[in-house]
Amino acid sequence: MRPVVTVVDDDESVRESLPDLLREFGFASRAFASAEEFLTSDSLGETNCLILDVAMPGMTGPELLRELSRRQREIPIVFITAVGDETVRPRLLEKGAVDCLFKPFSEAALLEALNTALRVG
Amino acid sequence: MQNELSSVVDALPAMVWSALPDGRVDFVNRRWCGYVGQAADAAWGDGWQTWIHPDDFPGLLDCWRSILASGAAGEMEARLRRIDGEYRWFVFQVSPRIDASGQVAKWWGINTDIDVRKRAEEAVRAREGRFRSIIEGLPVLVTLHTPAGDVELVNRRVVEYFGATLEEMKGRPGADIYHPDDRPKLIAAWSASIDAGHPYEFEARLRRADGVYRWFQLRAFPLRDAAGQIVLWYLLQIDIDDWKRAEALLAGEKRLLEMVANGDSMSEVLEELCELVESTASGCYCSVVLVDPTGTHLEHGVAPSLPASFITSIVGRPVSMHSGPCGMAAYLNERVVSPDIASEMRWSSHEWCQMALAHGLRACSSTPISSAAGKVLGAFAIYYNEPTTPSTRHQELVEQFTHIASIAIERVQRDAERRLSEEVLGKVRSELARVARVTSLGALTASIAHEVNQPLSGILTNASTCLRMLGADPPNVDGARETARRTIRDGNRASEVVTRLRALFGKKDATTEAMDLNEATREVIALTLSELKRGRVILREELADDLPPVTGDRIQLQQVILNLLLNASDAMSGVEDRPRHLVVKTHREGGDRVRVAVEDVGVGFEPQVADRLFEAFYTTKSGGMGIGLSVSRSIIESHQGRLSAAPNDGPGAIFSFSIPVASDRASGAYGRDAIREAVGPTGEPARGNS
Repeated sequence: MRPVVTVVDDDESVRESLPDLLREFGFASRAFASAEEFLTSDSLGETNCLILDVAMPGMTGPELLRELSRRQREIPIVFITAVGDETVRPRLLEKGAVDCLFKPFSEAALLEALNTALRVG
Repeated sequence: MQNELSSVVDALPAMVWSALPDGRVDFVNRRWCGYVGQAADAAWGDGWQTWIHPDDFPGLLDCWRSILASGAAGEMEARLRRIDGEYRWFVFQVSPRIDASGQVAKWWGINTDIDVRKRAEEAVRAREGRFRSIIEGLPVLVTLHTPAGDVELVNRRVVEYFGATLEEMKGRPGADIYHPDDRPKLIAAWSASIDAGHPYEFEARLRRADGVYRWFQLRAFPLRDAAGQIVLWYLLQIDIDDWKRAEALLAGEKRLLEMVANGDSMSEVLEELCELVESTASGCYCSVVLVDPTGTHLEHGVAPSLPASFITSIVGRPVSMHSGPCGMAAYLNERVVSPDIASEMRWSSHEWCQMALAHGLRACSSTPISSAAGKVLGAFAIYYNEPTTPSTRHQELVEQFTHIASIAIERVQRDAERRLSEEVLGKVRSELARVARVTSLGALTASIAHEVNQPLSGILTNASTCLRMLGADPPNVDGARETARRTIRDGNRASEVVTRLRALFGKKDATTEAMDLNEATREVIALTLSELKRGRVILREELADDLPPVTGDRIQLQQVILNLLLNASDAMSGVEDRPRHLVVKTHREGGDRVRVAVEDVGVGFEPQVADRLFEAFYTTKSGGMGIGLSVSRSIIESHQGRLSAAPNDGPGAIFSFSIPVASDRASGAYGRDAIREAVGPTGEPARGNS
């Protein structure tokens, strides 16, 4: 059974490209445009790793992290963000994120973060 | 024969009488008796004297005696009382009958009534007297000229003014009383007028007895007889010198004030002032020196009619008792007069007197120029080539012009100060504008980074996927093609961001163009969207469909919109109890304006600080510099618009501006200030950190 890596990002190009790459890596992948969509989907139960955008309209990435922890759904999360604010990374790691990647990130960085996440998971 | 003769004499229509050689009357004819209403014997001897008018009697008697003494024929005039008591004028013509020995044997006389003629003559004399008193009473110089133009009669004022009698004036060429500069034109006009018989009007300077020329208005008109022939020319010469001077003075004052208002330099204004006084008060030279701001030295001076060396030797001297009349007048704040510089004992330590004498100056009067507040601004000096004390008229002129000088100096100094402070202010504002843009650019950096990083991320991911798909066995060509397509799309997307940035920050010059404010607003929104999103701002656009184009500088207006959007976002950063709604509206206002409004539900502002929001350095934000709104307001004002703030319904604020729609007028550059503010003092746009 291939690990399921779910992408939640409001940016369409990420939702299009990232699952394709993840599938090339050998994962199963689905993408959602918002945290709310993800929370109400059946992917919630089968996701082994979440690639989560930080800033989104409605519920933000960190808010989804809090929500998941409230629901005691411990899914390893790799944050991705297009905002080059370095201070966000330590705060997210402190809250339990596996990693935080700054867009644009390399294939290698992504793979490394996923490996860590799935090992944790 | 004797009887016959007697009856003839009685019948004559004239009064006939005879007298003895000693003058005693021995006969009067009947007509005489009828006239006086007495018998003949009443007239015999000296009896006739009873009927002579008392006023005429002494003269008549003198005349009669001299005729008697001469023994020759003669005549006398006197009034005789008629029977009814009326006196009538008669001429008494008398001639002697000489006997063989050559002695007067008898005097024969005849009296002829000349009353009508005499009264006509009197009437003429009375008229002439009245005319004379009229022309003497006129407050002008009156001369009567013959039809050929020669002087015939002048009034007393002419005699007084020219210091010459009528006879002297008749004897000399008339032209030399006129100023040489006026003479040729005047003579030509006068001659032409006499030839044509037309009235004549001219202004010329006439030389007074003391050699002073004064301006007169000359008006001549011909007097014609019944046949239309010119019998006389009346020439009225009206002294308009005071009026002329007042007019010149007024024109001069006006010119001076215009110069001051036009911002002409201090030297130009003061030189004009000196020249004006010199031309008004002839025979003098003027100088003006100013006191430096510390009040200790004379710093600036003009003396347009004196050699430059004169004024340069005064400038720089201390304001003191010893620095010559100007330094002393400024020191004492009172007039200093030196009626004879050659015998002047003051100022010797500074050799002022030698210097003045070397320039041919023999007398001087220096008057302090004081500001309205009483501060001494400088000194106005008037110099003469002869030892003299300035006349009252000159002193009055000086008083008048020191007053004008103080107005001019204060105004010019104030203008200079204002210009200087405006320059400083302009520099500060340009600097602020640059800082403000860099600041908003800083706030935008995250947004820009986001906008660029998103597509870059897509590009990298797609490229990685593409390589993997091509490297698979068998290669997934369709998938690779799809990822390559997405790579291109994301590349274009990144490129668009860069284009927008270039549009916003890359333009060289401030330009004006007809533009669509909706489109400009959308571009700014596109750039700020991710920044707004990061601030969890929910943006709603309500852009009117029918928005007419406006004329303006697109980049400047976009910067204002950008500033308002970022401010609105900042104002809502602490809001947690309600959605962070931000509404951007455009709509047409009235017939000729377009309004852009940015509404937020943030912290808003206290009504009492509404006026201060647009002041530079006023801020309510902890990290703000308080520049954006002041710069925004000056941009909008340079677009003939107004930027204003109002409380929103409920929490928050509405910032909006309205500017006129594009007119048919060719659009030109907006105020230089706004352009300077927009592009920085060097004319180069700020380019962020590059």
